[in-house]
Amino acid sequence: MDESALERYFDESIIHDSDFVLEEELELQGPRRVLSSTPSAQRPSQLAPKSGATGKSGDDLDLSFLPDELSGQNEPGFSSTETKVPNDGAAGGGSDPVEERPEAPDTAASPFCVMTPMTPMTPMTPVTEGSGIVPQLQNIVSTVTLGCPLDLKFIARQARNAEYNPKRFAAVIMRIREPRTTALIFSSGKMVCTGAKSEEESRLAARKYARVVQKLGFSARFLEFKIQNMVASCDVCFPIRLEGLVLTHQQFSSYEPELFPGLIYRMVKPRIVLLIFVSGKVVLTGAKERAEIYEAFENIYPILKGFRKQ
Amino acid sequence: MSRASMRCPGCGSSNIVDDDLYCQAQLVCADCGSVVSEGSLAEESFNGPDISYSRTTAVTRKPCVNLIQGLERVKEISRILRVRREIEELALTYYKQAYEHETFLHVTLQRKEILGGCCVLASCRQQRWPITVGTISCLLNGDPAAVGEVYQEMIKVLNIQAPTFSVTDVMEAHCQEYKVSPGHVPEELAEDSKGLTKRAIALVELAADSWIVTGRQPLPIMMAAVYLAWQSLKPNAQRLKMSLEKFCKLAKVQKSKTAGTRITEMKGMLYKLGKEIPWYKEVLTPDNVVSLVGDVLQHRFSLLRRALKSHELSLLEKCPAGQVNPSSAETSSSSDVSEDAGQTPVKSSVNAEKEKQGRDGDESLKSPSEESNPQTQELTQNWGKRVLFAPPCVVNAKRKRAERPPLHVTGDEEISDSEIESYIRTPQEARDFAMMQEKLFTSNNESS
Repeated sequence: MDESALERYFDESIIHDSDFVLEEELELQGPRRVLSSTPSAQRPSQLAPKSGATGKSGDDLDLSFLPDELSGQNEPGFSSTETKVPNDGAAGGGSDPVEERPEAPDTAASPFCVMTPMTPMTPMTPVTEGSGIVPQLQNIVSTVTLGCPLDLKFIARQARNAEYNPKRFAAVIMRIREPRTTALIFSSGKMVCTGAKSEEESRLAARKYARVVQKLGFSARFLEFKIQNMVASCDVCFPIRLEGLVLTHQQFSSYEPELFPGLIYRMVKPRIVLLIFVSGKVVLTGAKERAEIYEAFENIYPILKGFRKQ
Repeated sequence: MSRASMRCPGCGSSNIVDDDLYCQAQLVCADCGSVVSEGSLAEESFNGPDISYSRTTAVTRKPCVNLIQGLERVKEISRILRVRREIEELALTYYKQAYEHETFLHVTLQRKEILGGCCVLASCRQQRWPITVGTISCLLNGDPAAVGEVYQEMIKVLNIQAPTFSVTDVMEAHCQEYKVSPGHVPEELAEDSKGLTKRAIALVELAADSWIVTGRQPLPIMMAAVYLAWQSLKPNAQRLKMSLEKFCKLAKVQKSKTAGTRITEMKGMLYKLGKEIPWYKEVLTPDNVVSLVGDVLQHRFSLLRRALKSHELSLLEKCPAGQVNPSSAETSSSSDVSEDAGQTPVKSSVNAEKEKQGRDGDESLKSPSEESNPQTQELTQNWGKRVLFAPPCVVNAKRKRAERPPLHVTGDEEISDSEIESYIRTPQEARDFAMMQEKLFTSNNESS
């Protein structure tokens, strides 16, 4: 922890020594914040007069995570280290992101880490680093245990929105209008809910199905709700040479134009399957959490962009 | 077991020896002769692995009949395809390996046969002997989707990598099928196989640059390329009038339906390039472009550059100078096309370099503004319309289904009773429904 803070300190001094500002590089190294050179006893108010900092105000500042002894140490050490820090204007000084702060405080030797109260709590979103494209969730599949055996024939008779064809499939297919979803309800009391566009929608829909089953007279409960799969899609808006991609990323990709027009990319970390099409549209599936989808897309976007120039 | 530690209970001596009685192990005191301990045949515990009956009683393991048959089938397929010795042997090795694996051990015989075909496919791919999945599925008389499925599983099981072929690789073998050499058809319609192949490959490469090939089935593209090549090698009235269907009958190949669409797309691409030919003074339409194919192919790189340039100019004319976004998007997507253009003709290579640098410089300056411009929202909806060459699925974008507005829910809201009630039948309704079901059921029984 100390090393990274020191590294950043050195990076800063290099920036000022060589008088050389590479905007892209700075942004690539992560969010940079300007350290104000006016120390004052009250931390929250320091955020407001920050020069060149982010737009976030210090109103939502929560310092409760800082250990108690630190708050005592901070004040005297604060002003002394402030003078050490170079006063940079536009180039942007470095400081720790919010997350690293709790680990920092034990040594007074690197008070630089402790200087973070000056900085906004939420990291600045880098402008050119990210792709700027957000994959939209298209489908969420979740499962729920209702906890009691069900009489499917009875449910199919009593419920308006249910269909049951035991010869074709051994479950009742029930649909509700809001959120527009479909559920498969099995006689064991297990249920699969599909078609929702967000995790909360899926949960609400599953609860509604459970309520319908309850109203029909069964002692249904809402246990073990779990999201099993999330599907998202997005468009990078440029054509992609799938033949080239399969050559360079052979271990992960499978492209068989005779079988399927898209390239199937199996990303290892996070474990997501991406379907990449020549039109630039990308479908991501296999995620259990939204963050996995975003991470996977941010991983693939530079690869695809690399292909665009070739 | 140390005999020294034991003492005879009878006389107390430690002189105890192994004195087995036939199969029964016995420890006997040498001095007084009393039996100290005896092992019992039944009590002996065997701590090794369980050995099955078939393993203990089998003298030699006979190889599985289906495995032998499968190997024969693999040999058959290899011989029909006339592949090299190494490919056949590799395929046999793969088959043996895959067959023993649990994924393929207890499957239907049909699937095992498909597995054989897939082994041949994988070994051909590794040894760079071009065939398509379509050929294999024809030989196996199976569905290409099933072949694909088994192939993917097999690749995973064997943990091998078999690089796919591009259309140009398979082109030569495909061209051999067309019986239009001088021996088969009348002189005016005949074409030398080598020349035909060469031109068809050039057309396919050009099509690949124009995004016609990626993601599509290779066969219709190859057929379209051969047809256009054949027409353009001697663009007389007779050839130009002959439709694809007649050509396929002539060449004795089976026509593929989508080849017609590919022909239209290729003609469109040739038209865009043919427009730039400076010495063609007549009006050019996608229909009469076939006669110019030779010239287009010969000068394709310079024509490509000219076409890109004129496209850029036309876009700048359409939109006022303030909107730099279309051209930047176009240059970025066309820079990959011009990449190949920059390669060959030496005299124009310097030119290409300069243009490329100019474009890249342009693009890097424009990209931040591109993303921040709110107008790009509408423009990016169909970026395909703005560039010279784009994949046809982008240019002819299907209408998007009306998207549902996203619900902002927390998942833990109150669920109103009335909403739930609306999903449940009233008692009267339920009775009616039950009656109707019964009636339907009985009438079905009577009619059947």
